[in-house]
Amino acid sequence: MVELDWTATTPLSRIHVAGRHGAAQGAAGVTLAELSDFELVQVMARRGQWGAVAQACAEAYGKAAPARPQAVTAQGALLVWSGPDQFLILSPRGAAVEKARTSFSGMASLSEQSDGRSLIRISGFQARDLLAKVCSLDLHPAVFPVDAAAATSIDHTAVNLWRGEDSSGEAVFFLLVFATFAESLWRTMLDSGAEYGIAIDASGAWQP
Amino acid sequence: MSAGGQTHRLASGGLIDRGKPLGFSFDGQTMSGYAGDTLASALIANGVKLVGRSFKYHRPRGILTAGSEEPNALVELRSGARREPNTRATTVELYDGLVAASQNRWPSLSFDLLSVNQLAAPIFVAGFYYKTFMWPGALWEKFYEPLIRRAAGLGRAAPESDPDHYEKAWAHCDVLVAGGGPAGLAAALAAGRAGARVILCEEDATLGGRLLSDGGTIDSMPAADWVARAVEELGAMPDVRIMTRTTVTSAFDHGTHAALERVNDHVPVPPEHQPRQRLWRIVAKRTVVAAGALERPVVFGGNDVPGVMLASAVRTYINRYAAAPAKRLALFTNNDDGWKTVDAALASGLTIAGVVDARAEVSAGQRALASKHGFAVLNGVVDHVDGGKAGTGKIAVALAGGATATLEADGLAVSGGWNPSVGLTSQHRGRPKWRDDIAAFVPDGGPVGMVAAGSANGVFSLAGCLKEGHAAGAAAAADLGFGNSAGAAPSSDDDATYALKPVWHVKGKKKAFVDFQNDVTASDVALAALEGFQSVEHLKRYTTLGMATDQGKTSNTQGLAIMAELTGRSIPETGTTIYRPPYVPVAIGALAGHHRDENFHSVRLTPSHHWAAEQGAVFVDTGLWKRAQWYPKKGEKDWLESVTREVKAVRSGVGFCDVSTLGKIDVHGPDAGAFLDRVYINTFSSLAVGKARYGLMLREDGIVYDDGTTSRLAEDHYFLTTTTAKAGPVMQHLEFCRQILFPELDVQLASVSDQWAQFSIAGPKVRDLLKEIVDPSEDLSNEGFPFMAVREVLLRGGVKARLFRISFSGEMAFEISVPARFGDALVRKLMTAGEKFGVTPYGTEALGVMRVEKGHVAGPELNGMTTAADLGLGKMMSTKKDFIGRVMAGREALVAPDRMVVVGIKPVDQSRRLRSGAHIIKKGEVPSPDTDGGYVTSVCFSPTFDQWLGLGLVTHGRERIGEIAVAHDPLRGEDYEVELCNPVFYDPEGGRQRG
Repeated sequence: MVELDWTATTPLSRIHVAGRHGAAQGAAGVTLAELSDFELVQVMARRGQWGAVAQACAEAYGKAAPARPQAVTAQGALLVWSGPDQFLILSPRGAAVEKARTSFSGMASLSEQSDGRSLIRISGFQARDLLAKVCSLDLHPAVFPVDAAAATSIDHTAVNLWRGEDSSGEAVFFLLVFATFAESLWRTMLDSGAEYGIAIDASGAWQP
Repeated sequence: MSAGGQTHRLASGGLIDRGKPLGFSFDGQTMSGYAGDTLASALIANGVKLVGRSFKYHRPRGILTAGSEEPNALVELRSGARREPNTRATTVELYDGLVAASQNRWPSLSFDLLSVNQLAAPIFVAGFYYKTFMWPGALWEKFYEPLIRRAAGLGRAAPESDPDHYEKAWAHCDVLVAGGGPAGLAAALAAGRAGARVILCEEDATLGGRLLSDGGTIDSMPAADWVARAVEELGAMPDVRIMTRTTVTSAFDHGTHAALERVNDHVPVPPEHQPRQRLWRIVAKRTVVAAGALERPVVFGGNDVPGVMLASAVRTYINRYAAAPAKRLALFTNNDDGWKTVDAALASGLTIAGVVDARAEVSAGQRALASKHGFAVLNGVVDHVDGGKAGTGKIAVALAGGATATLEADGLAVSGGWNPSVGLTSQHRGRPKWRDDIAAFVPDGGPVGMVAAGSANGVFSLAGCLKEGHAAGAAAAADLGFGNSAGAAPSSDDDATYALKPVWHVKGKKKAFVDFQNDVTASDVALAALEGFQSVEHLKRYTTLGMATDQGKTSNTQGLAIMAELTGRSIPETGTTIYRPPYVPVAIGALAGHHRDENFHSVRLTPSHHWAAEQGAVFVDTGLWKRAQWYPKKGEKDWLESVTREVKAVRSGVGFCDVSTLGKIDVHGPDAGAFLDRVYINTFSSLAVGKARYGLMLREDGIVYDDGTTSRLAEDHYFLTTTTAKAGPVMQHLEFCRQILFPELDVQLASVSDQWAQFSIAGPKVRDLLKEIVDPSEDLSNEGFPFMAVREVLLRGGVKARLFRISFSGEMAFEISVPARFGDALVRKLMTAGEKFGVTPYGTEALGVMRVEKGHVAGPELNGMTTAADLGLGKMMSTKKDFIGRVMAGREALVAPDRMVVVGIKPVDQSRRLRSGAHIIKKGEVPSPDTDGGYVTSVCFSPTFDQWLGLGLVTHGRERIGEIAVAHDPLRGEDYEVELCNPVFYDPEGGRQRG
């Protein structure tokens, strides 16, 4: 009997094909990529413990847990608000779940969601035009600035959406979607953005 | 391409591009026009007067308007799968190769057999169908309805599915301006300058509104130059968005609007990757409705003859499109605005046959114009117009003094005054208010945050529109706190008088139309009044006045006025019907958007989906999920053969099934056990860590809600599973319980449905297979891993998994959970490692067969009508604690002894097929609702027992075990004997699953 080799897949690995999609002329208006190799922990404060959780978070991650819809860049992790008294810790694959367990012991309940979500990066000068076709939120820079986050629904699918640091002067959005919905949403985004021309980047590891 | 056929094209002028000729065809006849034309203007330029037949009488009809309010000129646009019925020729931008056909005529537009309906007109009055086709009822479906459908109706929809793509999108702004005429442009400029985010929507392809037709002077420059500068200024503002070919159709709550963008209706086929239309939902903090006004006809005999056209439309065709609706034109007006048509016609070299003005006095300027150009100004009204498909003939005038006169013209321009477009402002049930000075309804407020400006608000002069539009835009921005200067309001010295004298209806003998699209005449309104249908809502339903694609935009006010006169009320007393969205027709395709065909709804894929697809699995839609239903093998002739093989393999060897679709919920916190005690009928706080238990939830009303297996992974951590169908609803229910019902409990919930790939592995050889996967250090023996045990195990290669010793099939079984990213790898390993044991993947059908054999209840029994006791699970209801549904479950009817309860059912003739839905009748009784004793809920062909087996809900079922009853199936015409039996057919002692 031999030890088994476990090859991991990502929610989009079957249909994520790097290259150009849709309109082929001119610069691609939208760039998409699935990011992988992250750990994701849902942290839910226990009753009356939110203050302690925020404090513990500051001690462990250098930033207090977000109490409003924001994605806070912390030490080695991104802290994404996901609801009242709860948030997500997104970290590169490693020992992030263990760190969270230690940091919030007794004050928060943790559920690992590393495999439960697909993480999609959306950028390009027409990223907002694509998102306008699937998302009801106002993503104008004055309304949805860098670090803004939202728990919303896209294409009838619950998602977490946030805005990262701009890249080359253009807004960058991140979308966290339930893994089993990911292929469906991906196809919807390809259809919606086809008129702008989509560059699909090679999938890669998420970095804070 | 020659312009040879364009007999009515003016030699110069217009906003058309004479350098870009376009060819098109109408009813198979090839014609030409220019870029910038609409289909209507091109038809006019080609001398076409007859464009369609009317709805009921098949009367010849021409073009009445130049906008989206058009009731007559409806055509079938395009051909084949793209054929689009009831398209208004007045809004179709001409493109090269356009194909259009007239509607509602047979065999041809010019020779229409059904125009004999006109001869029968005396019987086709309002309420005709209601009165005529009442008896005998049996004839309705076979005779009357097909007959009526053939005779009436408009265009034909394409039978093929639409090859084009539609989509929806959201937009947000501070100030939405609906309408890009002078008032709308002024509003957008003011709000934009103040710093607000502005969206300006214009239905037309070009901004300017009436300026495109009427010109004028603004800020001392020609209107066209001012529009160009305004567009340039708006374009330079980063937060102003101009959307042309976009109609704001609907106003919903909280500043949400619908707007239809015709992205590619002006080209034959949308460019690759582009939609034909896009339905916008625009969320605005403030809305300025600058939707303009619509001119209204006058009701007189023959007012529907081709060649009778609204005066403003005549002007539009002449000035904007350089197309002459007539060469010798007469005008019938009751206001000064109508006279502008005389100016336009004369400036283009057309002849004026005469002006009929209902007002006793006309201005000195107008008199001078008449004498200069040698036409008569007759004080009176048009009594009737003769003519037909060739156009207008003699125009009979009733002079004010009682005498008559006749005009000869090939066109009659009519102005009965203007109606502000009150559609959007009235959509929240606000009724518009009447203004006597302009004899029209104007908005009386509107939805919160919405104001009307310009002619939409009853201001008809250019100067007034500019001023009011600017003020509305500035006020909206200021109201939102934008402090920049809104700049100066654009000004115009064009402050023309309107001086309207209302004329609604000229009574006469000839058919006088109120609603052209529905062929509603003045006498129909009179009949409705006579028969008591005097309320405007009744008037609308009884006569169909104001229905169909134009929703009475050119007819409602005249209809009200006639009804008011007949009933001795004022027009405001008579009132208006309710205004509902959308303002203009919206194609169903646009409402569906992306969500059609394979994108009808989102699809969820299991972790083993791609592997299963490689195996050739047949998938079944289960909610949003695609689940493997069975895995056909080469040579198997039908599903039953495949499913039978899968069941036998599990019962005799080992098989596995992806059960990741079950809802999975982490229940955390110190009070997690107490919480579960309240939501389940049985107790979970006493469950030991490392154990699983079957749980049943009730609704508040005591009926069973959902079931599943819940495990205790730690003192303060349970892992709850739901059925596939109820995963979402149970999560919502639990959140409701946690947040609202039991806020005192320290409990946290997280959906982890997608985190885990979960497989049920079942059969006598399950341990053999698992040993190939699980690390040898793990003890899987009955002692080391007893029935209903749960724990984390190490797999070979270092991956951690959760193992649950639970069984749905009745076999020795485990469920194994791995992080979803290893789901695909796990299923492949099960196949390779299990090869020597004959491992067999099985689908939902085999799963269903085994659960029926085992007597487990599922969806057909958890049907929203059954109690725990009905399902044979009454003993699970704890008497030592309270739980949701406990009290209501004790209601008399829910504990009645004659309730239908779950039993097993098998045909006495073992070769017989049992069918779901068959009713259970006592032997010897005549089947009837009174003798109905329940029904068959679930069936399967059991390979284990080599016969059909079923479960059913049967009255007094448990006391009747062993009874031979009759399965009565009137749907399939079958009656056969069945035996009522214990629902657990397979291994009732449970020895196989306990090992």
